[in-house]
Amino acid sequence: MSLTTDQRLSGVSGGEQVQIQAVPDERVRAHLLRIGMLDGPVRCRTTLSRGPVVLERNGTTIALGDSVADDITVAECE
Amino acid sequence: MGVCPHGDDPPPTDASRDDVVSADANTVALLGAPNVGKSAVFNELTEADADVSNYPGTTVTATIGSVDGHRLVDAPGTYSVSSFSEEERVAREVVLDADAVINVVDATQLDRDLFLTHQLLDMGIPTVVALNVMDEVARDGDEIDVDALEADLGVPVVPTVAVESEGIADLRRAIDEACAPATTPVEQWFDALPDVDASRREAVLVLEDDRPTLERLTAGDARADGGLPDVELPSLRDSIYEHRRRRVDATVDRVREQTDDRRTVTDVVDAALLNPLTGTPLALVGIGLVYLFIGDVIAQRLVDVLETEIFGAHYVPWMTGLVEATVPASGWSEPVRFVLINDTLGLLTVTVQYLLGVLLPLVAGFYLVIGALEDSGLLPRLAVLTDRGMSRIGLNGRAVIPMIVGLGCVTMAVLSTRIAGSRRERLISTALLGLAVPCSAQLGIILGLLAALGAGWWFAYLGVMLLVFGIAGVFLDRTLPGESQGLVTELPRVRRPRAGNVLQKTVTRTKGFLTEAIPLFAVTAAAISVLEYVGALASIVRGLRPLTAALGMPAEFGQILVLGLVRRDFAAAGMTDLALSASQAFVGLVVITLFVPCVLAMAMIVKEHDLKTGLVMWTGSWAVAFLVGGLLAAVVTVL
Repeated sequence: MSLTTDQRLSGVSGGEQVQIQAVPDERVRAHLLRIGMLDGPVRCRTTLSRGPVVLERNGTTIALGDSVADDITVAECE
Repeated sequence: MGVCPHGDDPPPTDASRDDVVSADANTVALLGAPNVGKSAVFNELTEADADVSNYPGTTVTATIGSVDGHRLVDAPGTYSVSSFSEEERVAREVVLDADAVINVVDATQLDRDLFLTHQLLDMGIPTVVALNVMDEVARDGDEIDVDALEADLGVPVVPTVAVESEGIADLRRAIDEACAPATTPVEQWFDALPDVDASRREAVLVLEDDRPTLERLTAGDARADGGLPDVELPSLRDSIYEHRRRRVDATVDRVREQTDDRRTVTDVVDAALLNPLTGTPLALVGIGLVYLFIGDVIAQRLVDVLETEIFGAHYVPWMTGLVEATVPASGWSEPVRFVLINDTLGLLTVTVQYLLGVLLPLVAGFYLVIGALEDSGLLPRLAVLTDRGMSRIGLNGRAVIPMIVGLGCVTMAVLSTRIAGSRRERLISTALLGLAVPCSAQLGIILGLLAALGAGWWFAYLGVMLLVFGIAGVFLDRTLPGESQGLVTELPRVRRPRAGNVLQKTVTRTKGFLTEAIPLFAVTAAAISVLEYVGALASIVRGLRPLTAALGMPAEFGQILVLGLVRRDFAAAGMTDLALSASQAFVGLVVITLFVPCVLAMAMIVKEHDLKTGLVMWTGSWAVAFLVGGLLAAVVTVL
């Protein structure tokens, strides 16, 4: 698996696999960390237009609002 | 009690299993992530009536029961012991004071849930793990080696299917074996602890930068100026969390075998719900079905039978005759007789008819629907679909939950705004609830009246409400200081609601509602009757005449407003007795919907915020109700 250049999570499309790189918000970072979303690649299940991004990893699914996703940097997994 | 289980061949683990911290458990906390079946375990262990729900944050306060001499405290669902949300703060307090913990883990979500388990063990809290929903693990084609998990964690692990009562007897026996490893890897950071006198569990939280725990520890060391001493947090949360995650991953690798990747029916439903192209129509169909059930089957058909045919035709005449036969109509007893059986709001006649014939079926029906929605996991999906719209009024999708709860009972909904996030979002949610969200009791009557007027008036009512909701939301978003938090919410599995759970919740909540509402209704009815008897009600109605005239309403509408000061649904019920034109009924219904929150909701608003906030919302509701009502009255006159 290799990673491509950083991009915003809000720009990721459904079906893509990404690795979360940076989460500036302390509250969101702590939460993603404890539920295992920062352990490895996550799959984007779906994104709603200017709405939430739905991520999945190992059976855990989380929805992040557009403003939250826009602050998060990810790298696409190839 | 206190002896840890020993496997035959324990895998490598960080925990020392020979030397354990044991507990003589007096208070046992039930802890786990939201939607893991924690409340079902609580119900099975205690045979009490705790709610079992499938949405993060529905159990904001802890529920208490007893099991085999232990005090069992059902903490709010949480993913770790910390202080990021109201639920977490309550759970942290429960855990810090507990002698032992039953940690309920969703066996299909080991990756997520074992973080909390490892944290509890780091904190040295005697623990027993209830490995719940094991039936779904088998259905998914996965396998979990329970013995290996027990050996890895060093504490008892009991497989359970709580909703089927499976494993509960074993869990009950295992409570006395709750234990914790004497040492865990978190101790490598203990040297970084600030100079405070902390227990092991408090020390771990301080290392994880939990400021409320630090404040709890330094509260007794107030400086001369009244402030707390400046003690720095060690900023180790990320390091400790990352290390713990690696331990969780290692545990899961050792104990779980994923043998298949089956796509179930619920996965297909889930995918359809999260796709806006299919999810939005499905949500609209769902809302339509809810309307059909509550607005037609219950509000129209069932209530008609109960209110008119049973209470109206039989109970009220019987009770009136009984009181007339026993309470004389003269002397001191005459006012008593009036209060008991007057036609407006007789305490033993119309009040009972209204409470049991109208309110009870509506409230029970709504709780049935909300219970099924909670258990199905559909509410968080609705939060995802509505997030974009809610963000325009300074909220996020999670705020749709208090709004839906508010359609059942605004008082309960004000409490549930705790899940909304910041104080700013709570203020916006609460204000919108108090202003533009009618409760089920009121809504049922309103729907009935609107149905009689015709579909055009129904859509006009809906449009006005949504417009006021939107304008008020945008206004509050632009005027309140600060910024709202974006949506961050787990999506629990889509599950078929179990009838037993839903019915149990409905009965519990309905009982709770009646227990709270009956005394208030009785006092209100008696007070209104006394006012009417002494002629004060007529004076108040006369005083309100300029306002009612501005709305183009008859003077009697003033009496409706007086009832509305106590309960909005009282006002709605009163509307049924007024002879009004279609446009008057429309304006009246809009006004009583936007009018002040009921007494109970006001008490809750003051409790959750403060008196000043409550008064601002109360007077604001007056202003908005009459402003919008006056405008509508002018518009319908021109039309």
